[in-house]
Amino acid sequence: MPDHTSNGMQCHEFDGLVSDALDGALSGSRLEGFQAHARTCSVCGPLFAEVTAGRNWLKDLTEVEPPVSLVINILASTTGVDTQRLRANVSPSLSMSQQPRVSFRPSWWERAQAWASGAMQPIWGTVRQPRFAMSFGMAFFSLSVALSVLGVKPADLRSVSLRPAAIRHTYYNTQARVVRYYENIRFVYEVESRVRELKRNVTPAEPAPAKKEHKNDTTQQPEQKQDRNYSQNENHLILACAPLGPSVFDPLNQDPLNPDLPVVSVTTYRRFV
Amino acid sequence: MEDVQVVAMLVRRCVAGDAAAWEEIVQTYNRRIYNICYRFAGSADDAEDLAQEVFIKMYRTLATYDSSKGAFVTWVTTITRNLLVDHFRKTKQDRITDSLDAASSAHEDAQPLSEQIQDQSAPPDARVRSREVGETVHAALAKLSPELREAVILRDLQDFDYREIATVLKVPEGTVKSRINRGRAELARLLQRTYRQVM
Repeated sequence: MPDHTSNGMQCHEFDGLVSDALDGALSGSRLEGFQAHARTCSVCGPLFAEVTAGRNWLKDLTEVEPPVSLVINILASTTGVDTQRLRANVSPSLSMSQQPRVSFRPSWWERAQAWASGAMQPIWGTVRQPRFAMSFGMAFFSLSVALSVLGVKPADLRSVSLRPAAIRHTYYNTQARVVRYYENIRFVYEVESRVRELKRNVTPAEPAPAKKEHKNDTTQQPEQKQDRNYSQNENHLILACAPLGPSVFDPLNQDPLNPDLPVVSVTTYRRFV
Repeated sequence: MEDVQVVAMLVRRCVAGDAAAWEEIVQTYNRRIYNICYRFAGSADDAEDLAQEVFIKMYRTLATYDSSKGAFVTWVTTITRNLLVDHFRKTKQDRITDSLDAASSAHEDAQPLSEQIQDQSAPPDARVRSREVGETVHAALAKLSPELREAVILRDLQDFDYREIATVLKVPEGTVKSRINRGRAELARLLQRTYRQVM
């Protein structure tokens, strides 16, 4: 703005008084000087006219009515209280000045909700962040995929017993199932057999351990018996020697201390099956 | 404008966890805040979202309000203004400069108060014309730079005095007056241009 003097008032001085002039705060010689400057100055006169016009335009702007849901939404998002009472009181047909101003006393439930909401506000604020929601979604997805792969069904969870013994039992069962599953995989089985084969080829043959004869070791007896039996011919002769029974013993002719028992040889044909 | 003691008591009750006190604050100030947001943002949807954000911020920081430092309404308006400036900066990239001829107001829920109250004497033509003028001025207001717009809104639409505006905007009173005058003059020039095109 050019700074020149007109009617005893400089333009920058005039500029500072425009607001006061519009507000009606100028009076006396100051007002006269202001008006005279506005009439004569080619810059400040039109400026003052524009400022006045702009203010008049703005006076045409009326206040708008906020949406009826605004208060309900605000209360719901701050205290978490969204009551039917409030909804019923906010009538779209009534302006705020027409609405009855009633001071409501909230119920104990609303107060408890408000308290809980206030306490949970920081946590809830974090939880509502998109990145948290994304992380939670991914975790849920991963968990559900893992459970479906392991064969866990939600319906089975109802019958789950939470006793420590039952949990231990379930743990061992699951472990065994996993090990079985792993070992039954064809690829694993093949790899393991190859490894075993390689080991066998690489390791030199160990000398057979010396057999110890255990008197009481009967583990080999059936096989030995079988070997012996199978080694025999089916027509093999078996000599059976049996003492005579008491019926053939003559107590009159024989010394009881040195009995001379008669030897009877019996030849039998026995067929072993 | 407001009884300082009553408002201070209301705030104390609210900080202590009284839901009714908070509801009273919301009922008292939602209209003012919504109007500031609506005139600054230019859209009813944005205004509703912003007003809600203002109250959420207010609810969280209510304990920091100090009645000895200033009026509650000034504190509330400062919060509103800061949030609006943040919103303006965030949406700077997305903003499009619409023509004044374009229908700017998509205000479905909010209607001018003059239309809420049935005026039997005003003919329908006059009411339609008044609404059109209102929409044109509203669109022109949205064309002003944010510094000029906020000063004009607080002075001419919210009737704040210069000292309060200076507190809210954190600038000297002289700067406030200068911005208001520049804003009004700029608005008049925009509207003159528009009406000249229409004629």
